[in-house]
Amino acid sequence: MTSITQMEDLYTQRGKRARELHAAGQKVVGYFCCFVPDEIIAAFDMIPYRIQGCMSEPIDRADAHIEPMACPFARSCFNMAIKGDYSFLDGFVVPHSCDTIERMYHIWRENTPAAFNHFLNVPHMMGPSSDAFYRKELEFFIKALEDWSGKTFDPAKLKDAIKLYNQRRARLRELYALRKPDPPLVSGAEITQLLVAGMGMPADEHIELIDGLIGEIMRRPQPKGPKQPRIFIWGNEIDDTAFIKLVEESGASVVMDDLCTGSRFFWDDVPETADPLDGIVSRYLHIHCPRSYKPAAETREDDLENRFGYIGEFVKTWHADGVIFYIIRYCDTCELEGPDLREYLNVKGLPVLMIEDDYSTSTIGQLRTRVQAFLEMIV
Amino acid sequence: MEENDQAKTTATKGTDAARKVRAMVKNIYKSCHDAQAEGKKVAYIMVSSQYDEILRAMDIVPLPTENYAGLCAAKRDMDRFLTKAEEDGYSQVLCSYARIGLGFDSMRKDLGCMPENAPDGGMPLPDIILGSSGVCDPRFKWFQACGRFMTAPTYSIDVMHPAVHCDLNAVRDHYVRYQKEQFEGLIAFLEKQTGKPLNKERLWETIRLGDEAWRLWYESDLLRMSKPCVMPSQDHFSVMVPAYYYSGTQEAVDFFQDLVNEVKYKIENKLAVVKDEKYRILYGGGLPPWHTMWFFNYFESFGAVFVIENQYRGFDPVEVPGHVKDPVEFLAWRTFLRYTKRHEQARANSGNPVVERILDLIKDYDIDGVFFHACRSCRATTIGQIHTKNTLGRYTDLPMTQFVSDMVDLRDYSEAQWKAQIEAFLEALAARKRPL
Ligand code: SF4
Ligand code: SF4
Repeated sequence: MTSITQMEDLYTQRGKRARELHAAGQKVVGYFCCFVPDEIIAAFDMIPYRIQGCMSEPIDRADAHIEPMACPFARSCFNMAIKGDYSFLDGFVVPHSCDTIERMYHIWRENTPAAFNHFLNVPHMMGPSSDAFYRKELEFFIKALEDWSGKTFDPAKLKDAIKLYNQRRARLRELYALRKPDPPLVSGAEITQLLVAGMGMPADEHIELIDGLIGEIMRRPQPKGPKQPRIFIWGNEIDDTAFIKLVEESGASVVMDDLCTGSRFFWDDVPETADPLDGIVSRYLHIHCPRSYKPAAETREDDLENRFGYIGEFVKTWHADGVIFYIIRYCDTCELEGPDLREYLNVKGLPVLMIEDDYSTSTIGQLRTRVQAFLEMIV
Repeated sequence: MEENDQAKTTATKGTDAARKVRAMVKNIYKSCHDAQAEGKKVAYIMVSSQYDEILRAMDIVPLPTENYAGLCAAKRDMDRFLTKAEEDGYSQVLCSYARIGLGFDSMRKDLGCMPENAPDGGMPLPDIILGSSGVCDPRFKWFQACGRFMTAPTYSIDVMHPAVHCDLNAVRDHYVRYQKEQFEGLIAFLEKQTGKPLNKERLWETIRLGDEAWRLWYESDLLRMSKPCVMPSQDHFSVMVPAYYYSGTQEAVDFFQDLVNEVKYKIENKLAVVKDEKYRILYGGGLPPWHTMWFFNYFESFGAVFVIENQYRGFDPVEVPGHVKDPVEFLAWRTFLRYTKRHEQARANSGNPVVERILDLIKDYDIDGVFFHACRSCRATTIGQIHTKNTLGRYTDLPMTQFVSDMVDLRDYSEAQWKAQIEAFLEALAARKRPL
């Protein structure tokens, strides 16, 4: 099997590897969002599993438990849980990322509890006192894992996990670098497949897969063709290729992203500090997510630069010609962030298309005309 | 629902106290304009951020933007602000309070002056903007977004509480410490803005006033257990204004003292809301439909009275330990205790503090049915209602219903649907009461 077919297989059969490991007696711990450190779970020899939804399945069972004005990504995940699709999760960990996810913890836990359930509180504010708070929350999390597993936490194992996950991050950045040439050597849809495939497997196996993929990409004929608009995508959860494919089939290259399921979750390394928790805190609490509040700067320009400077770097380095926002409906933090980010990018001369969607492949076709019109404008 | 009802938004109230609130609402915005003329600082604030007494002690005049949005809806003057925000790129499903606020700010910026005929004289440009993470996400994101329309110094604090399953003894110090640090950060910011240090004696004084007003408010709610009902929920949704927006002032204390006296008087003289009280309804949760408050009276025309509510209700009183000698630490403790008041009870029973509170209310107020209002654009007060209803169903067989609209956006409201649903709910109430 080539790495590409292996990746496609893992992408289409979500959770396949995690299910196998669970069947073999390993503990699989499912979690939402970007604020639960994989490294801590891995340091207990457990498998971290980033919970995903299913954009191609209707949400048919969740309505009996959760209101339709909740984020459809979260509702889709829960819909899968009540259908039994997540019965392979031994543990369930939820960070306080947003209002919906916080409520989801209680609803999920009471309807489909795992053997181990834990809520990790995460400050919205940033600053030294928030760091100390989050650190203490991580200590509670570690204590809960100790109680559940009967194992004693070993900081040396956490250091090893940090090294391993940093290696994975480095490989992913290497892969992302292959998107810099024009045309890019790897498509946005392939990137999505690889990231989703990696969400349910041990880091070392994912590293092997990424290495294999990079090798195959380098060996295949380099793409050629007329100049196409290079698109940067910003938003929240895209764990399906449908939308990225739509953009690429409309005649553009998706070259870089800032998504919960993309660069946002892996980009920055965990600093290898003497006390490994220090590194974890400084990295995870400073993830660029609209749900976190950067202290306001004195001027509007400074404030936008402070909040979005990293995106400015991304679009420059990856030579983006335009930006598409893909916002899952009812995500208040993204909905409030979008217009500010658009202002920031427009000042840089980048056109922006803001899309709000329902996290469903059945409605994606309706976006085609808007995407095409946007791309025509760029060319 | 008669033709003439449809044009009207407000409900007929039961108490004189509630009728006095309209003037207090007007005064909120007037006092902001006056304060700026006197050189005082006016701050955009979010309700229930736990910092009210600090602001009062520092002579900062609160300007509650959410209340302003509700006011616009009650005056049916919200569409122009909602539309403006949507033109500026804010989603139609985003918190409609936030949309009205941002739409208003945007319009004021474009015009360079107050939008014409703005309800109650409009919101002046604030000198400071103060968000928080208490209750919901838009509380700090909305104020961050305000930067697009004004340059006021902006600050936000976390207001955090533990999940119900936490061992409170293990997490208490951790939460109190963080809350205290968050308040201290806010105070340092405000001292810089005002150029004056916080006087802790004054803070103790505003805390005393804040607690006293809330104690009286709580007392009035306890009195409301008496049958028949003398103070209905529409009154509650008025008296929350002095409770939340005058917190830490003598005015609030006087208001609630009057309310307690009036409720007592009405009970003694059996001055009931409706002549023949058939059903006692609990407003179980969700922001009220400010655009259509007369629906309370419509229920009353069938002998159904909303007697108590689990929304915009004050926190039940808590006892901060005597060893706490610093007022900022006191506020941190009070926040923790307020938010964890029913955690132990929930752990021993349903696992859900909201369910526990509702069960207590059902028992204490002799409730016949529970009503919830799901607002399409408010996640924080809506998500979880179905779950709460499901869990309640394990402990009670009372009829429960969930109505859907929005707190201010009329586009999410269907009168025909509400009518049909009210009829069905009344039938369910009647069926349960009918002797077998
Ligand atoms: S980064 Fe994405 S997944 Fe993580 S908390 Fe934010 S919105 Fe949720
Ligand atoms: S997409 Fe938004 S609403 Fe949904 S889980 Fe992520 S942060 Fe929450």
